[in-house]
This record gives sequence, structure tokens and C-alpha cells, in this order.
Amino acid sequence: MLGHILGRIVQALLVMLVMSALVFVGVYAIGNPIDVLIGPDVSQEMRLETIARYGLDRPLWEQFFTFLGRVLHGDFGRSFVFGMPVLDLILSRLPATLELTLAAVFGAALIGVPAGIYAGYKPDSLLAKIIMAISILGFSVPTFWIGLVLIITFAVELQWLPAGGRGETASLFGVEWSFLTLNGLSHLLLPALNLAFFKLALMTRLARAGTREVMLTDTVKFARAAGLSEWTVLRRHVLRLIAIPIVTVFGLEFASTLAFAVVTETIFSWPGIGKLIIDSITSLDRPVMVAYLMLVAFVFITINFLVDLTYVALDPRLRKARA
Amino acid sequence: MSDSAKTAPLLEVRDLATHFHTRAGIVKAVDGVSFSLKRGEVMGLVGESGSGKSITGFSIIGLIDPPGKIESGSIRLEGRELIGLPSRDLRAIRGKAISMVFQDPLMTLNPVLTIGAQILLALEAHEKVSAEEGRRRAIAALAQVRIPEPETKVDFYPHQFSGGMRQRVAIAIALLHRPKLIICDEPTTALDVSIQAEILAEMKELVAELGTALIWISHDLATVASIASRVCVMRYGKIVETGPVLDVLTRPQHPYTQSLLDSLPSRAKPGTFLARGGGVPDASPPARMSGASPSRGSKSDASYFVIQDVSKLFQTPPGILRLLGQKLGLSQPSRGVQAVDSVSLTVPRGEALGLVGESGSGKSTLGRMAAGIYAPNSGTVRLEGEPVMGGGERPHKNTTRIQTIFQDPFASLNPRMSIGDSIAEGPIAHGIVTRAGAAEYVRQWLAAVGLDPAFASRYPHQFSGGQRQRVAIARALAMQPDVVVCDEPVASLDVSIQAQIINLLMRLRSELNLTLIFISHDLSVVRHLCDRVAIMYRGRIVEEGPAGQIYDNPRHDYTRRLLAAVPVLPTAPPA
Amino acid sequence: MKQASPLARFWNEFRESKVALAALVVVVLMIGVALLAPWIAPQNPYDLANLALSDARRPPGYVGSGGFTHLLGTDAQGRDLFSAILYGLRISLQMGLIAGSLAFTLGVTLGITAAYLGGRWEAFIMRIIDLQLAFPAILLALVISAVLGQGKFQLIAALAAAQYAYFARTAHGAAAAERGKDYVEAAFSTPLPARRVVWRHILPNCLPPLIVVATVQVANAIALEATLSFLGVGLPVTEPSLGMLISNGFQYMMSGRYWISIYPGVALIILIVAINLVGDQIREQVNPRLRR
Repeated sequence: MLGHILGRIVQALLVMLVMSALVFVGVYAIGNPIDVLIGPDVSQEMRLETIARYGLDRPLWEQFFTFLGRVLHGDFGRSFVFGMPVLDLILSRLPATLELTLAAVFGAALIGVPAGIYAGYKPDSLLAKIIMAISILGFSVPTFWIGLVLIITFAVELQWLPAGGRGETASLFGVEWSFLTLNGLSHLLLPALNLAFFKLALMTRLARAGTREVMLTDTVKFARAAGLSEWTVLRRHVLRLIAIPIVTVFGLEFASTLAFAVVTETIFSWPGIGKLIIDSITSLDRPVMVAYLMLVAFVFITINFLVDLTYVALDPRLRKARA
Repeated sequence: MSDSAKTAPLLEVRDLATHFHTRAGIVKAVDGVSFSLKRGEVMGLVGESGSGKSITGFSIIGLIDPPGKIESGSIRLEGRELIGLPSRDLRAIRGKAISMVFQDPLMTLNPVLTIGAQILLALEAHEKVSAEEGRRRAIAALAQVRIPEPETKVDFYPHQFSGGMRQRVAIAIALLHRPKLIICDEPTTALDVSIQAEILAEMKELVAELGTALIWISHDLATVASIASRVCVMRYGKIVETGPVLDVLTRPQHPYTQSLLDSLPSRAKPGTFLARGGGVPDASPPARMSGASPSRGSKSDASYFVIQDVSKLFQTPPGILRLLGQKLGLSQPSRGVQAVDSVSLTVPRGEALGLVGESGSGKSTLGRMAAGIYAPNSGTVRLEGEPVMGGGERPHKNTTRIQTIFQDPFASLNPRMSIGDSIAEGPIAHGIVTRAGAAEYVRQWLAAVGLDPAFASRYPHQFSGGQRQRVAIARALAMQPDVVVCDEPVASLDVSIQAQIINLLMRLRSELNLTLIFISHDLSVVRHLCDRVAIMYRGRIVEEGPAGQIYDNPRHDYTRRLLAAVPVLPTAPPA
Repeated sequence: MKQASPLARFWNEFRESKVALAALVVVVLMIGVALLAPWIAPQNPYDLANLALSDARRPPGYVGSGGFTHLLGTDAQGRDLFSAILYGLRISLQMGLIAGSLAFTLGVTLGITAAYLGGRWEAFIMRIIDLQLAFPAILLALVISAVLGQGKFQLIAALAAAQYAYFARTAHGAAAAERGKDYVEAAFSTPLPARRVVWRHILPNCLPPLIVVATVQVANAIALEATLSFLGVGLPVTEPSLGMLISNGFQYMMSGRYWISIYPGVALIILIVAINLVGDQIREQVNPRLRR
């Protein structure tokens, strides 16, 4: 078991290294950042001097290794646009995205899984059909369009909820959070709903498919033959058996929700890292892009690793095989 | 309990009808079944697949899922009508008064819960128990079904048990509340014959000890005969014959029962056509192409088909990291499974060799190496001195002279090809027939295996299991092989269909002068078909010899145990 | 007895679902409308000679200077929105189908090759695919289109690169499952050449799950393209897809001119929902575990 974990850690580090190289080369290929850094009217000398200052005249591999060395010290460089250290910039935006993502993913799981189990348990009932109709909508309708509709309906027409921004925040562990104030919560609701819609559909469909298959197995038939109540069968057998794919998807979706927050944050002007990356792509702010992509890669690899460990906890068959 | 309840039968089923409303129409799975069962009585319910025997069992315990529905009739347990009971009352009966054991113990237990947890759930379904009390009772229940070290085993997960042990756990759960009736639906079909014998013996003891009535549902007359006192024979949703086991099996009244018995190879003289096998076609297979086999002599030479020292080790290929780790000496190569361990066999021309063993003995792997499907890790397979597999990085079979017939006719035919195309594909690719002549060639082969030649354009899903197996035989033989490896070709078929396929194989073998390697777990089929028998156990051949000698005078311990475990049918007392 | 081929059987079963059949009709209709857009549309919305600024941002039903009724209103440049939607549909479908087929070809080739090669190569290829699958498609498409710059072909490349991995994994899973089946062993034991076994036996039997993935992925590609265009990193302004129409109307939404954004959105959603409904029915039919 320990060997397995160690192996995974080595693998994760390798992946991280490959990712950083890919990201660096990829981002390097985008445009010429010098045009962003200085106006077109500066002298040629100034221009060369700036290029030298940012190390942009060095060969690519040298820039990469300088970059790697700095990253190991927690230094991602300075943003071309904001002029502040990238790490600070991202860390200041991260809590907003984090609370949005967590609210969306947990909301989706808490509603989607029970709804999906119900729809899989009674696939022919009217409620199940309604659940599936909603889920196919959630699955199909692009996130940005749902965002627009939510804004029109709840912000423009009904004027119940604000259309953008984070609202009031309160401090916890030295970080500002929206969910701690009523006003912040009202600002959080629409974007979280928007972001959750697709995940909700996904969780529902996944739980439904799993439940339908498990309900047909001999395991369930045998449990029923032993006189277990339907509730016990669902709670103790079905839920345990469908948990493995759901946890996998939950983990992966958490990470992809971080990425999808790009869209929601743009629509609701939510000041998170998603909005930051879109802005930095349009303004060719290389250090921010590199740091953001590496952060996402890091989150992904960490979550994959955790999901893998959860597997072992959930499925006893894997314990021996991987020991 | 009133007097009438005491004298009344434990279970009384009257005119039970359970139908399935499918897209294709109504299937009358159970169509007017009546029988009654006394307290502590053991009854066998026998029939071929689709006879409605399992559905009868599920109807009694009230577990018919849509689109199935109990249409009419009555099921009374100690005089109380079960049909139409609210689901809550039915649930109170399930597991408490009536319980059930299923066919495949791999599928019935929940893989992610410990045995103890699953027993506790079944306990809590009918009574309130504390955690310690539950654990104590779980251990006692495991001890009751002869599971060694129940105190530790109670915390095991199902995958840590063998198939037989899992079925014991399922039985322990079924017995938990001392039910008045247990329904066992093919409980030993998925198990090896030696495990089956143990479970049969233990089950017999347990029900006698507890006074539980038992309905033993099976396709196998012999297992029923060894446990039940009374038997009902089912066909097409109806009971065609019922009576004491000995009477029914020795003096069957209904022609169907008679035909079932006549289909069994164990009751026929080895090497003869089975009486009810029927269906042997009159048409002869097409003539062999000249030049299809280079050296076809009639003399029997001992070194015709030689398997020499073959071994097969199944190993998952290591990933790149692990490979690196091994190179650096950080990790060990994974051990893998030694399926076949240096086995040698020689089959003379025209012989039928039976390869017998239980699951995991390596018999199928050996068969696939003989057929050139798997490359052995070491050793060689040669036909008249020619190696069957070519060498190199990716070994590939280089002869068409050996062909294979597989166990599952549902899996061995490509569902997306018409059977005509399936049969013709190989012969065309190897120039045995021309593309133009293929249609006629296929028609001749279909006739030779007893199918309507017009079926060539149909797809596998349009055929029954027996018909598909005929197609698979035609496909193998259309390659005009000299040696045919048959891997459990009749194991998934009903006895009457099995008899037809056995007869067909015997006829084609003699007509085409085939050399046969016949792999089976079923000792009676092998005895019937084969001249010589090799017994496999844990990847090795433990005993080999002429069929008569192995069966009548086994020398190896394992062979003896295997033969002793086979349940035997009672034979008629001499008149 | 009818000589029902598996395909005919499939179609007969498909027809039984009214919803799926209706969805299929909608998909076919929308493809037809998109193909015929230049002939059906009342106006060529990208011929600047047709546009008049006085017609800009008019609500549905307005009769403009062109002399015809703007059924769905006009946009900020005075284009007839209905015409713009027809042309946008054309571009969106084009992108979805081209990117989808490209991803399909690439992914299936990779997946089946991996399953066919087996051993170390299989492990290596699938490890990379898994790695990529762990990365969200939208981010990948975003970065790739940022790297390659704006343009039709760049976007197609980005979409295909973001999606081929799904096909690869599905194809590999299906092929690996088929590889272990008896009929493939039967074909190998004939012995047929490996290439023939892959083409004639393995590939056709992998198609059902691949078709399911293909429908979902074409729908996803269309949605992804719309999202990227909405974010401003997708198609250039000269190729206005539905996503871009929605994006263009976004700024007028707060002032109550909802139609500029909403109607292209409705068209987009009808298209995607219909494709997904068709895909859902196919999925139900090819899932062997749910068959009775």
C-alpha cells in the first residue's frame, strides 16, 4: 500500500514536470508580450532593455529552467499587466473561485445523487421523467446561456438577486468570504446555481444509470429475498455500490468546475481566477497564464490522487490487489 | 396454531400463473402450476431453461419484477394466502418464513460490505439486535454452515472467499431466521463438482436438523435425485410429472421425463448415439479439397499431434514506471498466474482425447495453446512435426489444420455478421473455396450440421443456443481441419440439445476422420465421447489413460475424489 | 421470418420512442435548414449593402427598410435576426461536425491501435489519454485556441484536440472488451490476418458505444464552440456562429432587448437537446446490461 502511494507521488511529480514544460512552451508561443509591456512609441534601446530585464532574449530552454528554479521558490514572476507578484495575485482571487466551486459541486451532489437514485429506482414514474427532462436540459444547455437566462429572470425582471459581483464579505482565517454574510450569499446564489446546473445533470444521470444497473443485480434480489426493506436496500446496498463511479466523477468534476468557472465568472463579474485567466489571455499576460495553468494541473493531480485513495477505501477488492 | 393449520400443508400452490408482458407479446412463464409441500419436505423442481422453474420460485417468495406479473392462482403458506398481500406483509415473510438462495454466489453478496455487515442487515430486517449480539449471531451462523474460523471470517469481504464458501455464506443468511421454507435456485450450478458434492451433503443435513422444507430448483436430475424425496418435472410453464424421486426417475410416466433421461450420456453406452439426440442430419459435409492437407495418410502414427512441455504464465505487463523500478531493483516483478505448468500430451491421428478438470485447472488454457490461440511461454505444439504457432515477437498461428469450437455459442459468433459470412470468411481467406463457390459451400455445411441451408443470410440473434452451436461447428469444420479442439462445447446447453450436439459431433468425427481434443468439466460427456482421458489439476496432468481404465480404475487420488463427487442417478431395480 | 439485420432491428426499436423520433426529425430539419440557409433566409445578413443602421435593435415583428417583417427582430447592426440565426446554425453545425469527425477518426484510431498492440504500448498510450481526460476540455480548447490564434481551422483543431481523448478511451474500452470475446479468438484461430480481424470483427462491434459518444461529442463541440465564441476566443467576427450572436446580444440584455441574445440561444439549445435526446435513445438501446 505504501509502495503504491509512493509510486503515485513519483508519478504525480513527473506529470507535474511534463505539464509545466508543456504549459511553458505553449504559452511562450502566444504573441509577443513586449507589445503589452511597453507602448509602441518607446525607443529601440528601451525596448531591448525591457526584453533583457524580463529575460526574453534568452533561449527558450534557459528561460524554462530559470522559471523552474524560481517556481521551486514559490516565485511565479510578476504579472505584466498588474505589476504584482503572480502568486499574490492568484492567491487573492482564489478564495472567490473556491467558494463558488465548492458551493456548486456540493449543491449538485446533494441534490443530484438522491434525484438520480430516485429516477433509477422508479424509472417509469412521472417524477423520474421530470427529473430526467431537467437533467437533459442541464446537460445540453451551455453554461453561459443559462447564466444569461438567470440574470434576465432573477436580476433584470424579478430583481430578486444581484446580477454580479461578490457583495459584502466577511473575514475567516484572514481570507475574505462571501458566504459568511447574507448579502454575500445573495450574490453567490445565482453564479453557484449557474455553475451547478451542468454538474447537477451529470450527477443525476450517473446516479440514475448506476441505480438502474444495480437494481437488476442478484445482490439486490438477494437482499430483498432476505426481507430487507426497500429503504435499507437503497441506503446500504445501492448507495454503496454506486458510490465508486460517483466519487470519481465528483473529484474530476470538482477540478473541471474550477475551469468552467471561467464562463460563470465572466458573466457574473465574479472576481475569481477564472475571470483573471480570460483577462490575461486577451492581454497576453504570460506569467499569470503559466501560473494559472500550473495551479489547475496541480489541483487535478492532487484530486486524482485523492480519488485513487478513496477508491481503495470504498472498494475492498482493491485493497489486496494494490497492497 | 389451530389444528387445521397443523395438518394443512406448509405450502400450497394452486393454478399459479405468472406472465411476462414483453414487447414481443405475453410470455406465459408459469402457466397453471399446482403442488403442495409438507413441513420439512425436500422437493426438487426440474426442467430445462425456459421451463418456468425459477419463476415459480420467485413467485412464491413474491419477487416478480415488471414486466412480470402473477396473473392468477393461489400460494398459501400455512393456510395464509400470499398473493395480493401488501408489500409490507410480504417483506415480513421474506427471509423470516421463506428465504432463498441464488445460483451465482459471486453476484449475490455485496462486494463492498463485510460478511458480518451483510448478515447483520439480514438480522435487522426482522428483529432488533445490538451490535455485539449481531456479531455473535453472525459468527454462529457462519459456524453452522461449516465455515472454519468464523470469528475472523466474519470481518472478511466476499472476494476473500472461494465460490463454495460464498455460497455457504448465502445459505447462512437464508437460514438466519430459521425459515419454514428455503428455495434454492440452481445453488450449485456455478460451482465445481467437488464443491457441489459438499454443499449438497451439508444442505441435506442442515434442513433435516432444522426441520426446514426445501425446494431445490435445478436442471440437473442427478443433484435433485441426491437431495430431494419428491420431484416435479416442469416444461413450458407446466408441471408434467410429479412423484417420489425414485419412481419418477426409474419409471417415468410422461414422455418428456423419459426423453430427459434418455438424453443423458451417463445412461447410454459410451460411443453410441444418444437415443433422444435425434437431429442427426442426413446430408454429408462437402468433399475435402484436394491439397487442403498435405500429408493425409490412413495409418495411425503415434507422434501425430504432440504437445511438449508447454507452460503458460499469465502476467499483467508492467507499466513504464514499474519497469523502471524493476531495472533499478526497487520493485519485484509481479508473480502472475501459472495456468499451465509444463504439460506434455501426444494424440494419435483419429483419436478423441478428453481433457477433464475443474475450474482453474488450466484445461481451457491448454486447449487454447493446442489450438494456436495462445502462444505458450515455453514448450511447443506440433502437428506432424510442423509447429502450430510461428515464432517471433508477436507469435501468430500458421496453420489452418487445427480449428476450435467454443463453449458459449452466443459469444463465439460475431453478432454483426450473417452466419453465412461467418462460415465462409475463413475458407475464402485461405483459398479453400472461391468467393463464387462460397454460397454453395456454406449451404452444404449448413445441411451437414442439420440446419436449413436457407438460414445462411440470418444473423446469430435469430437462432437458439443449440442452433448457434451447430453454426459454430460448421464454421470450424468448413476450414477442413484435421484436429478440432472443443472447449466445453455442450456445457451451456440444455440436456436434450446437448444430446443432439453430442450425436452430431460423433457423426462428423467418424465421417471426416477428425482428431478431437474435447475439454469438459462433465465426466459423463467425456466418457461418452472420448477414447482416452487426461485429468488436469492445478495446471498439470495428474492422470492419463484409456477412458475405461480412468473411470473404472482410477489411480490418482484426485481422480478418485472427482469421480466420487459426481452425483449419480438411481437406476431401476432389477425387475 | 424477416431477415432482420442488426441495423434494421435497431431502427425498429428506435422508432418506438416517440421522443427520440421527434428529436431525430428536429436534427434532420435543422441540418436541412442550415444547408439551405442562403435560399431560405429573407436576407443575407453579412452583405453590408443590405443593412441599414436605422433598422438596428428592433423588436420581433418590426417591418424594416428591406420591406419584410423581421420575425425575430434585428441585432445591433440592423441584421435580420432570423437570417442571422440560419447562417449561424450553418456555421455552428459545420464546426461541430468537422471537429467531431476529426476527433472521432483520431481517437478511434488511437484507441483501437492501443487495444490491438496490447502490452506496454497500450499502457503508455492509454496513460496519456487518461492524463488528458483529467484536464477539462474547455480549458484545453481555451489554451489551444489562444496559442493558435483566432480562425476557423485553429478552432477546429482546438475542439478536436480537446475531444479526441473521449473517443480514444471509448474505442479502447470497447475494443479491449471485444478482444477478449470468443468470436475474436475464433477469427484469430482460423487464422485470419490481424488487420482483417480488426476491420471486420472488432471495429464493427465497437461502433455502438462510439456512436453514442459521437452524438454527445458533436453536441458538446457545438456548445464548446459557442462558449469559446462567447468568451471571445473562438471564431473571427466574419464567421458569426450562434455563440457569437448570443455574445453580441449580451450587452443589450440589461436594457431589455432580450431577443438579440435569447433567440440564437433558443436555436442553439433546440439543436443540442435534440442531438442529446437521439444519443440518449441510442445509449439505452446499446447498453446490454439494461436489455430484457
